[in-house]
Amino acid sequence: MTERDAWLALASVSGVGETIFWGLIAAHGGATEALRAVASGWKPRDDELRIVRQTRAAIVEAFRDPGTVAQRVGSLGLWTLTPLDRGYPPRLRVVDPPPAVIFGRGDIDCLTAERTIAVVGTRRPTLIGRQMAARISTRLVEAGAVVVSGLAIGVDGAAHAATVAAGGRTVAVIGGGHAHPGPRAHRGLGRSIVDTGGAIISELAPDTLPTRGTFPRRNRIISALGDTTIVVEAPGRSGALITARHALEQGRSVLAVPGRPGDPSVAGCLALLRDTPARPLTGLDEMIVDLGYDTLPEGETVSGRLSLAAALGLLGTAERAVAERLVKGPAGADALVSETGLTPPVVSGAITLLMLRGWIAAMGPAYLATGPLLAADLR
Amino acid sequence: MLATLVTAVISGLRGELVRVEVDVAPGLPVCHIVGLPDAALSEARERVRGAIRNSGFEYPLSRITVNLAPADQRKRGAAYDLAIAVGILVASGQIRTSGGAWALLGELSLGGAVRPVPGVLPMVATLARAGYGRVVVPAANVGEACLVTGVEAAGVDGLDDAARLVAGPRGRRAAQAERRPDLAVSGDGRTRTAAMHGSDTRAAPTAAASRGLPDLGAASDRVDLSDIRGQAHARWALEVALAGSHNLLLVGPPGAGKTLLARTIPGLLPPLDDDEALEVTVIESVSGRLMRSGLRRDRPFRAPHHTASYAALVGGGPHLSPGEVTQAHRGVLFLDELAEFDRNVLDALRQPLEDGTVELARARGSIRYPARLQLVAAMNPCRCGWHGDLQRACRCGDGEADRYVRRVSGPLMDRLDLRVEMPRVPPSDLVGAARGESSAVVAGRIAVARGHALRRAPHRPNAHLPGAAVVSACRLKRSQEGLMRDLASAGGMTARGVHRVLRVARTIADLGDREGVADEDLLAAAGLRDPAALPSLAA
Repeated sequence: MTERDAWLALASVSGVGETIFWGLIAAHGGATEALRAVASGWKPRDDELRIVRQTRAAIVEAFRDPGTVAQRVGSLGLWTLTPLDRGYPPRLRVVDPPPAVIFGRGDIDCLTAERTIAVVGTRRPTLIGRQMAARISTRLVEAGAVVVSGLAIGVDGAAHAATVAAGGRTVAVIGGGHAHPGPRAHRGLGRSIVDTGGAIISELAPDTLPTRGTFPRRNRIISALGDTTIVVEAPGRSGALITARHALEQGRSVLAVPGRPGDPSVAGCLALLRDTPARPLTGLDEMIVDLGYDTLPEGETVSGRLSLAAALGLLGTAERAVAERLVKGPAGADALVSETGLTPPVVSGAITLLMLRGWIAAMGPAYLATGPLLAADLR
Repeated sequence: MLATLVTAVISGLRGELVRVEVDVAPGLPVCHIVGLPDAALSEARERVRGAIRNSGFEYPLSRITVNLAPADQRKRGAAYDLAIAVGILVASGQIRTSGGAWALLGELSLGGAVRPVPGVLPMVATLARAGYGRVVVPAANVGEACLVTGVEAAGVDGLDDAARLVAGPRGRRAAQAERRPDLAVSGDGRTRTAAMHGSDTRAAPTAAASRGLPDLGAASDRVDLSDIRGQAHARWALEVALAGSHNLLLVGPPGAGKTLLARTIPGLLPPLDDDEALEVTVIESVSGRLMRSGLRRDRPFRAPHHTASYAALVGGGPHLSPGEVTQAHRGVLFLDELAEFDRNVLDALRQPLEDGTVELARARGSIRYPARLQLVAAMNPCRCGWHGDLQRACRCGDGEADRYVRRVSGPLMDRLDLRVEMPRVPPSDLVGAARGESSAVVAGRIAVARGHALRRAPHRPNAHLPGAAVVSACRLKRSQEGLMRDLASAGGMTARGVHRVLRVARTIADLGDREGVADEDLLAAAGLRDPAALPSLAA
């Protein structure tokens, strides 16, 4: 039994949280020793380290058969990282204590990419918030950044999906083990994240069920993995605020998308801006400047993106009117009719053409700009 | 002595001939009705006895046997009362038939008044086909009876009138029979008197009406399109839907105006043509809802509540009566709060939407009702109603909105042609917005467009064109075929989806008075959303 196997086995025992894990490591100097000690009846003096009988039995089990976890990891096609490894992402070492194990699927290098940004927000965003997440992520991809989020529905999903669509890499930190990969609605998104060079990671053993408590805890990994955390839309009580607080504690910067005072869907963002050193995100160009991304990392060049003006120049008058309106924000067919002054059949036809080009998408009752229109600045 | 008279029964939407044989023979005074009568019919003997006594005739103190032939067919309702009563009068020798066959339809009151019955129109039509040229019907039903050509229909208000008619000028003992005013029920007597003076029984003033009580059950009045502010897109979609009879789904939060928009529909539909009018009038007659005499010219608009039962919607029930889908035949069935309807009830709509008929199979055979209807449905996008709103976040739990929408089964969604998302209209817009076109203007365009469609295929609005006929009706140019291919591959359209777009494009071209379908028509049609591709906000 290598020390790393023992480490994996001990960290994967259900009932062993970070307190017990790091307590045992500190008391015995290593995972192998810790397993052996507990198996031979060692009792902690420290009350905090009290191990219930069930957990103790599980640790004894792990000691007898330390290969189970490694087998399970292999059968699921996962990789693992521990602080013992040289490849363990330095960003995660700022977490106190660092995650004992990272189980991952996909490209392991994403975690150590030069530019990483966490994009988080509520599970129930407004359409505007959803599109904001997509625009921010698209712009980040252009700046060569890896987008980190939590694969939850809402803002997380919009950020991942936009990153994948823009050809970027994204890391999803899930709140359960890999056998329970996020919400059912995001199974396909999860696959495409891995297929496009991104990664899905979790600190929990593969068969751990996600519970109420695991989600807020994984948020500290999201914030640690991003050099900056961007909070897109967060009402007064949102998990995204926990992520932002972790980011600040970890010495990371936080950008929050502001909104109208009194609007409940942005109350959390406004509170962050007032009460913490978080800075407002006032525009995509400004965001790029604030992140220090105005110059691309060495060796990367801007892809042949169509400028907004050039893109609009390709369109007929009706389409251009509709596209210009949608660049300002999502709108339903009715708003498009009243704000462009075109007739309903003409607007309907323009929508068809823009959808054919893949420049707008329908979402619920509204249409929103995507593709080349998405990275356009907000004004 | 034996008397034989003719009456009819409703089976499905058709009448069937029934012979009433009455035998009055010496014996203990009893009255037997044989020939599979139901409860209402068995009670006929009590009504008939009262009516005969209170019309100044004598109820024979003999053994009376009434046989309804054919004996194996189950009979129900009170439409045989009049034939039975007149049969008893003839069999007991109180009147003599004047020769020539009379058919009689009508329910009797104890006072001897003749009450209207449902289904007179198809029953009279059957009697006429069977060669009975003279039919006695309740006065309130005489209007519909007269729609049948070649029939002499006589409307009567009371049993004595009917007896007089059957007896003819020679056999009038009835006229001499003395009234017994002490026995006449006053309320009934007054109604009858009023009726005999030529006014409609229904018009007789009742105590409630004279005090000006509002009619609480009446359908609320129509809404004119010009009363609707904003919603330009939805108004246009409604115009397209009605012009081509395309099934329409309105989706929007509470207060978006879905129901209000639907209530403009009756004012926008073109009138029924002669054939359609007859079909609709027969259905109204059988449903017992024919309020006016004469043909019904306005298209039906039915809006059952979402608690409607299976039988109420598709028809059936113990007495096999037509359901809402049949009553909406040639018209519009509006289902508000679609997702709140019982799932089984909604799935039963699939056959009528596909074939235009409803077939109700029973142990004793099946009945087919026509149900060629246009479905207009409205629903919230989710339980709380705010899913997808631009400003307000939805309060539903994870995946709840998808589950809500999925209550309406995929196959039913497949049969809806257009989906219109109606946003909430901000109150400020309600006050400021300019009034849109009035119903009259839009109805004019709809009528013209329908005219174009009906010239291509009689009685087939664009929505009901078969796939091949749509393609030929659209007269696509080579370049347009390419455009359709692009649209189909980009949208992942099925063949059904392509035909849907073509049908709608044909209608948009009809609204624009264009012979062939233009590129813009195809694009505009493709921009109207497919209900089958329902809003998924999961990402």
